[in-house]
Amino acid sequence: MNERNSPYFRYAYNALIKDKGVNIALAVLLILSAFLMVTGSMVMERSIGSVDQLFEEAKPPHYLQMHKGDYDPDALTRFASDHPEIDAWLVEEMLGFDSAAIAWHRPSTGESGDLADSLIDNLFVTQQEEFDFLIDETGAIPQASRGEVYVPVAYQQSFGLQAGDKLAIRTDTGIHDLRIRGFVRDSQMASSLSSATRFLVSEADFQELGRAGGGTPEIIAEYRLTDPSLASEFQRAYEGDKALPKNGQAVTYQMIRLVNAFSDGLVAVAMVFLSLLLIAIALLSLRFVIRGTLEEEVREIGVMKAIGLPDQAIVSLYLSKYRVMTLLACIIGGVLAVIASGLLTRSIQVNYAQAPVGLTTILVPVLALLSVYLFVIAICRGVLRGVRKVQVVNALVHGSTLHERQTARHAKRQARRARRTSLASYRGRSISRRLAFSDLRAESGQWVLIPIVFFLGTVLMTLPLNLLSTFESPRFVTYMGAPESDVRADLQFSKDVDSVRADVLSSMRSDGQLTQVRVFANELYEIQEGEGWETLRVEVGDYSGATVEFLEGGRPEPGQIALSVLNANRFQLSTGSKLTIRHGGESATVVVSGIYQDVTSGGHTAKMQGEVTTGASGYVIYANTVDRADPAAVAAQYSERFPAATVIPMREYVQQTLSHTTGAFRSAAIMSFIFGIGVAVVITGLFLKLRLTRERRKMGILSAIGFSMGEIVAQVKGKALLTMAAGTLLGLGFVATGGESLVGLFISLAGLGIANLSFIPNLLLVYVAYPVILVGAGYLGAVVLTARLHGADKSLWLRA
Amino acid sequence: MPHDDHVMLESRDLAKTYYSTEPPTQVINGVDLIVRKGEFLVVMGASGSGKSSLLYSISGMDRPTSGTVFLEGRDLTSLSDVEMSRVRLTKMGFIFQQAHFLSNLNIRDNILLPAFKAAPKEKDAAVARVDAIMERFGIAHIKQHGITQVSGGQLQRASLCRALACEPSILFADEPTGALNSSMSTEVMEALTEVHSDGTTLVMVTHAPACAARADRVIYLRDGRLVDSRQLGRWSKEQSTQREDDLLAWLRKLGF
Ligand SMILES: Nc1ncnc2c1ncn2[C@@H]1O[C@H](COP(=O)(O)OP(=O)(O)OP(=O)(O)O)[C@@H](O)[C@H]1O
Ligand SMILES: [Mg+2]
Repeated sequence: MNERNSPYFRYAYNALIKDKGVNIALAVLLILSAFLMVTGSMVMERSIGSVDQLFEEAKPPHYLQMHKGDYDPDALTRFASDHPEIDAWLVEEMLGFDSAAIAWHRPSTGESGDLADSLIDNLFVTQQEEFDFLIDETGAIPQASRGEVYVPVAYQQSFGLQAGDKLAIRTDTGIHDLRIRGFVRDSQMASSLSSATRFLVSEADFQELGRAGGGTPEIIAEYRLTDPSLASEFQRAYEGDKALPKNGQAVTYQMIRLVNAFSDGLVAVAMVFLSLLLIAIALLSLRFVIRGTLEEEVREIGVMKAIGLPDQAIVSLYLSKYRVMTLLACIIGGVLAVIASGLLTRSIQVNYAQAPVGLTTILVPVLALLSVYLFVIAICRGVLRGVRKVQVVNALVHGSTLHERQTARHAKRQARRARRTSLASYRGRSISRRLAFSDLRAESGQWVLIPIVFFLGTVLMTLPLNLLSTFESPRFVTYMGAPESDVRADLQFSKDVDSVRADVLSSMRSDGQLTQVRVFANELYEIQEGEGWETLRVEVGDYSGATVEFLEGGRPEPGQIALSVLNANRFQLSTGSKLTIRHGGESATVVVSGIYQDVTSGGHTAKMQGEVTTGASGYVIYANTVDRADPAAVAAQYSERFPAATVIPMREYVQQTLSHTTGAFRSAAIMSFIFGIGVAVVITGLFLKLRLTRERRKMGILSAIGFSMGEIVAQVKGKALLTMAAGTLLGLGFVATGGESLVGLFISLAGLGIANLSFIPNLLLVYVAYPVILVGAGYLGAVVLTARLHGADKSLWLRA
Repeated sequence: MPHDDHVMLESRDLAKTYYSTEPPTQVINGVDLIVRKGEFLVVMGASGSGKSSLLYSISGMDRPTSGTVFLEGRDLTSLSDVEMSRVRLTKMGFIFQQAHFLSNLNIRDNILLPAFKAAPKEKDAAVARVDAIMERFGIAHIKQHGITQVSGGQLQRASLCRALACEPSILFADEPTGALNSSMSTEVMEALTEVHSDGTTLVMVTHAPACAARADRVIYLRDGRLVDSRQLGRWSKEQSTQREDDLLAWLRKLGF
């Protein structure tokens, strides 16, 4: 059969050409849905492929158990010989250093910094021989020579490290220098959810670091099994044996895989979710369109039925249009997805491995597209089944898709409404407005779509914006665990840090541009946690002046300590709790004075009242500028005089510290703005287009009676404006009330160190500009759509 | 040309072309027409000859492609949309083959709508006038009914009431009996004849010779051109059969 000449093809072609606006809007929705669905599934496939590839190369253990402190090696040997399902096993020794104790330096440019913003444990290890290898960027198993270190790829990215940079590790007995030779991927700890990461050093350096002190020794007992699926059974056996070391985390192969795939697949999951949402919107619109078409063409359907065409054939005829449209959308969405997924999987490829292209690489997106196509077509077919209910007589005589009983019910409802809203008693001034309102009431079931879309659009657009403006606000420093001041100087540990501190302090105190110079020392304390000791970063200094805002409690007096939210949660402490800490071999018991929010240093900080002595791992100096001094200029001046110190205006510090987060929020804000406006305009346009088609008769009547086209169009625009504004206002109401707690919940779950977020919104943008833009865009759509009505021959709307 | 006081409506060299088709269809082709005050004019012709197009072009619902239309000496084609709709509201009434009503208003509200629109400050007077009109045409008892709860004949009489609500000078009707059975059809034609005898000018399109026989004059349209016209004189019930036979003979000659 010649496809082009088939009646279905011709019907589809004509139908697509006829209603261009509606069809384009529908196609856009479908393309977006298909695009997101395929991109999501491709990113997932690539992530899983990358993880698998890395696993292939690195051979992670099937079961691992972490442990801190002493253990009995003989028990491990005995256990291994008792369990024949063990293929291989090893005990990896590691040395943990706090990220504040690791600094980097680039000899070629003099740039430097530390890793303090990283909130995960840094474990120094040597390369293994049998399994659980650290893999370099080429997929090979590197060996570190003396004086060299391989750094995790995650750090390469977040701190911008390069091969050749120097790494300085602060030990109890001095600074141990290493040169970065390259970067490694870690199959166990690659996930962004992992709480630790591994550095590869030579055996000699490992021994030296151990002797130097300052690191926390840890071990992992690792097992490869003959069959990975035995892992959970094996775990039970291991945990049942009292003699084995096990005071740390235990992880099975399946969990490593799951965590790896999940954490970086989160974006993909979000995309698939968003795609499902869009498909739902697209299907709602499709249903609306198809119903409208059926009602409009009911006489044709009646005729087709009368000449004996089977229902199935009529359905296929109408379906052909949507088949063509959905197919096109899937193809376009698919092509776009190939481009987008390449960009999105780049970081996954770096953290894991280059996934090989295989059959599934092709199959997954194709299956995703196929399922979108089949699902949309199935729903369309379902709606089109309405054709079956059309009765020939009713269709031909009354032009109604309803059968008799429905017609009667419909008539009764209409009559009741007509009686209730009597125009005869109306004494208001604008009959046009009155008509628009009674229309809205009568057709509320249809119009409600607009407020819903605008409500969602408003919420979608303003929440990320509120987050962004909150994080960018200078007032945000109080969330950051830092006093509100103008200039901040950071001194990282170095051999002469104490003398630099003294110099900076004395020149600041004698500087007429600066007042209220305060210094705080960053000390690494240890806190007792169960059987072992954990590192606790404490800022020691004078808190008697203005300091940070406390969520509960207040500033620390001598013998007290204030904790950040994340630390309070981690150690399950609240105001008034006692805890034991030690520093330099001396233990002390202190009381928690209060809890504050902090987003610096990964959110895990503490504050203690005390004298700033020498020998701290670093110092922070805050100062205020006097009236007319420019903080930026002062900061620049000090940076130049003291190259070892990082002196920046507080405002810039906020921006820098949060640049990752605000960057993400900014992208989210931009994306959601475009998405919100786009979807709102497309849906409004689609809705009005269909509404206008269905209201042609009503418009014809009004025109014949003597309403001008301007008045008739104003009714439509008024209804649109009213419903759009109502939805937007509801959205703003929600954002102002529930939105904050919703986002707050999300933020506290994200572990940023903020438990109690109050928006610092850009009022003008959120409550004036955004709503005006959103409603304005929708209104513009209405203006464009109704503009065409003016030149029309109105009588055609009334002729059958 | 000076305006003749006896002329209600006049078209000169009127043409209408639809551009939505390929090639464009010219459906009215240079029609010169004069409708006198108080006249009952019927337009006849084969299906597709352009009767409706002519009716809506001279009544300002649609814009003619070229030519001019005068209503009581006023050039309608030069009016703005707002002015034209004011003319439709106050000077014209419309009746269609299908009774088109707003479905969420009851019968009386539908009829009140143009009256309220025309004189928003005199709503009480409008209500009284509309009630009187409905009484006159025998539909006062269905005032509160919904539009789907009355018969076709009642609905078409309601259309007539709405068309008369603002006391128009001219009434346009496009096959007002086309969708009705013969008894309902007579009902509606009786009402129209009554309106005509009150002095309202009437222009009606119809296929039914029995309806056309009530006119003062019948014109015949073919392919958008006025090909013939026939003066029938004042209608009287007694002569109805004879007038109808006479009209039929004329129509047959024209190939109707
Ligand atoms: N919107 C339109 N676009 C193109 N052509 C049209 C349109 N409406 C009507 N026509 C054509 O114009 C011509 C005249 O149509 P019109 O409706 O005026 O005829 P009519 O005499 O009223 O016919 P009927 O007796 O069937 O009502 C017909 O040939 C018709 O096909
Ligand atoms: Mg017609």
